[in-house]
Amino acid sequence: MNLKTKINLISVSVSLVITLLIFSLIILLIGQNPAGILSIILNDVFATGYGMGQTLFKATSLIFCACGLAICFHVALFNIGAEGQLNAGSFVIALVAVYFADLPFPIVFLFCLVSGFIVSGIFGLIPAYIKIKKDVSEVITTIMFNFIILALVNFFLLDFFAVKSTMRTEKISENFMLTKLSDFMPFFSGSSLNVSFILALAVAVISYILIYKTKFGYELRAVGFNKTASKFIGLNVNKITLIAFFAGAGLTSLSGINFIFGYKGFYEMGFSSNIGFTAIAVALLAKNNPIGIIFSSLLFSILEYGGLSVNQQVPKEIMLVVQGVIILAILSVDKIVNNYFERRL
Amino acid sequence: MNTVQFKDISISFGSCSVLENVSLNIKSNSVHCILGENGAGKSSLMKVLFGMYQPDSGEFFINGKIVHFSSPLDSINMKIGMVHQHFMLISDFTVLENVILGNEITDGLKINFSGIRSILSDIINKYNLGLDLDSKISDLSISSQQKVEILKLLFRDSEILIFDEPTAVLSPVEVKEFFKIIEEFKRNKKTIILITHKLNEVKLIADRVTVLRKGRVVYEEDITDCNIDLEKLALAIVGESRVSIAVDKSSENLTNEIVVRLNNIDLYKNSVKILDKMNLSLRKGEVLGICGVEGNGQNEIAEIITGLEKNFEGEYKNKNVNVSMVPDDRISKGMISQFNVGENIYLKNGKKFIASSELLDDFSDKTITEYDVRLTNNKASLGSLSGGNQQKVIIAREISAGNEVLIFSHPTRGVDINATAFIHSKIIEERNKNRAVLLISSDLDELISLSDRLCVLFKGKIIRTFESDELSSYKSDNKVSLTPDIEIKKEKDNQLFELLGKLMIGMAD
Repeated sequence: MNLKTKINLISVSVSLVITLLIFSLIILLIGQNPAGILSIILNDVFATGYGMGQTLFKATSLIFCACGLAICFHVALFNIGAEGQLNAGSFVIALVAVYFADLPFPIVFLFCLVSGFIVSGIFGLIPAYIKIKKDVSEVITTIMFNFIILALVNFFLLDFFAVKSTMRTEKISENFMLTKLSDFMPFFSGSSLNVSFILALAVAVISYILIYKTKFGYELRAVGFNKTASKFIGLNVNKITLIAFFAGAGLTSLSGINFIFGYKGFYEMGFSSNIGFTAIAVALLAKNNPIGIIFSSLLFSILEYGGLSVNQQVPKEIMLVVQGVIILAILSVDKIVNNYFERRL
Repeated sequence: MNTVQFKDISISFGSCSVLENVSLNIKSNSVHCILGENGAGKSSLMKVLFGMYQPDSGEFFINGKIVHFSSPLDSINMKIGMVHQHFMLISDFTVLENVILGNEITDGLKINFSGIRSILSDIINKYNLGLDLDSKISDLSISSQQKVEILKLLFRDSEILIFDEPTAVLSPVEVKEFFKIIEEFKRNKKTIILITHKLNEVKLIADRVTVLRKGRVVYEEDITDCNIDLEKLALAIVGESRVSIAVDKSSENLTNEIVVRLNNIDLYKNSVKILDKMNLSLRKGEVLGICGVEGNGQNEIAEIITGLEKNFEGEYKNKNVNVSMVPDDRISKGMISQFNVGENIYLKNGKKFIASSELLDDFSDKTITEYDVRLTNNKASLGSLSGGNQQKVIIAREISAGNEVLIFSHPTRGVDINATAFIHSKIIEERNKNRAVLLISSDLDELISLSDRLCVLFKGKIIRTFESDELSSYKSDNKVSLTPDIEIKKEKDNQLFELLGKLMIGMAD
């Protein structure tokens, strides 16, 4: 284990302990027993196959989305627009699957992957292009594009494609639905966990290799670390930025695959329930390392699912507080641990 | 009377020992120069004094009293001030705002500007700094920014002033001005500590000199009446391994083929004319030197040739050749500090898409051995290396790209003597391979000894070109001495020196 991983592990564990303490304190203030609440959460998430399956299902979408964001963040530009980007892609994925219902599954699935990726990608490309051409802050444009995209999707959905008096598209063919993991692992029975999870793990590994083991990854990070030097070294900074935003935004569309092909069978307004924003925290927590993202996605899903299970005892929003505390703890502890080691070494 | 006394100071980072039992006395009201190669421990010692590093063992005294600094604030309270190599100024603030930042004199909640103004103008007049309190930092030249840093220290009433390579960024004229300010400090009973690489500066200004090598004090001498044996000093700096590198420039394969030509180039930046009907042609197998005070268009010429600057008028002809460039500022333009040696080389020169660890190791091993890069750990990030080693890696990267045209911009700035000699030999090696080399520098010794032709740039115009025969008529021989500073210059060299100095500031011809 190299030093960097060691430092990271130390800072993550210290932060988790701190978070646990603050969490207990809040629960005490509410007038409940922290140990009791914690045991309910752990019980619900880990004791049953259903709980674990649901947690992993939630993690799947987060992994896709956060990996995409990690690629954008590596060029040191802040993409806050994942929520919009993934909705645009997912909407198109559902439409394509519905309207090509007659074609064989592999072709339709591939077509969905590609079209979703391109549509989401284009909505990442536009803010990046404006940034390059006019130096308009990508933070502002990506946030604004969230509103634009969601409004557009709503308009097209409600006026043209929605099933009457619902806010969803038609269902895709039953034959197209992805295999549930419970089909060959009965342990997970009842949960929505499907093969997308395996795809998510693959995407994380591929993203990791892309970022850390390829020429493009080195260029990506070089631009993120030092744009001026990258120019002098001879890299095409603008091209790299555009590709990163296209690919990163494109990846977020895969969250729609998990939901549409793996769970409901249709696109529904508000299906994403803010994973585009949660994924920002997930990626930051993992320091934009896709392998780390697998674990931070799990952590966030546990918190979210755990929040549902203790809703009767404490407000489930407590888990949002915990999410916030974890991020703050990791960011600050990380700094302290790093400074400590820097001084000692 | 010793103002600062270090006693057996040791610092190590992991297994790498930076300072070993350093003992050093700095007399009050004197100029104390600290010399040494890159990584010899000069900066670390000063960081101890400035409270940025805490020594592992040993102690130090200020005015006879033992002190423990846990942060620069402690040091500032003891009236110690430091001008860092990289200035700590906020570029959007004015001089006044920068100076008072963190040290505001207030009437209740209001800042007492008029009081501060009069204090500051007194200081500016006293030391002849020539600063306008209301100009924005971003509009100031490097040398003026340095003066703002000095003003900051004076405003805080610092008695001990530390300068980390203050002259590295200054032109010869500005250096003279700077020395005048230093002398004024001495007259006002202040203590000055100067970290430098330049031996002739020591001779001019120092009262006492200390040489550090590999974290130890290896040489100390008092200087009276500018009387010092520079040869001995140079030997102390480089150590026993000193080898004289005489560069072979004799292989005459000059084909005279022009590969890059700039015709009547005009360039404006923020409606300021930077290049003015500039003409220049670069030939294969030559080193074309560009001499001039910084900011006269050197960077822009380099950026036009590399293709980074496209908004110019005039004609740029390039015979379909690729251009490599070693930029003037290695940290902000030259490298990715977070990447290690192999990764930095791979970034530019890697052909394969997959960066296997063997490939990266290969790049890094090759560079480290071929360019004599010294590091404790082959995987160390470039940012943690000393300046000379960083520069070697950048030069290795640009040279191994194998391009026809090479631009070196201030290639040996802030680099120690050994590394300088090595870099010089590499530049000549490339020239001898029939590559076209453009050398931009403010170091006249470097320019005169390396250049085949030499252009003087003034206000965006080449005002004088010395062709090779004219240049060699001035030169005593073609050897590049290991320590240009101590080479006893022949009469003719001096003539050329003086002429160039005058041309650079637009005073001659």
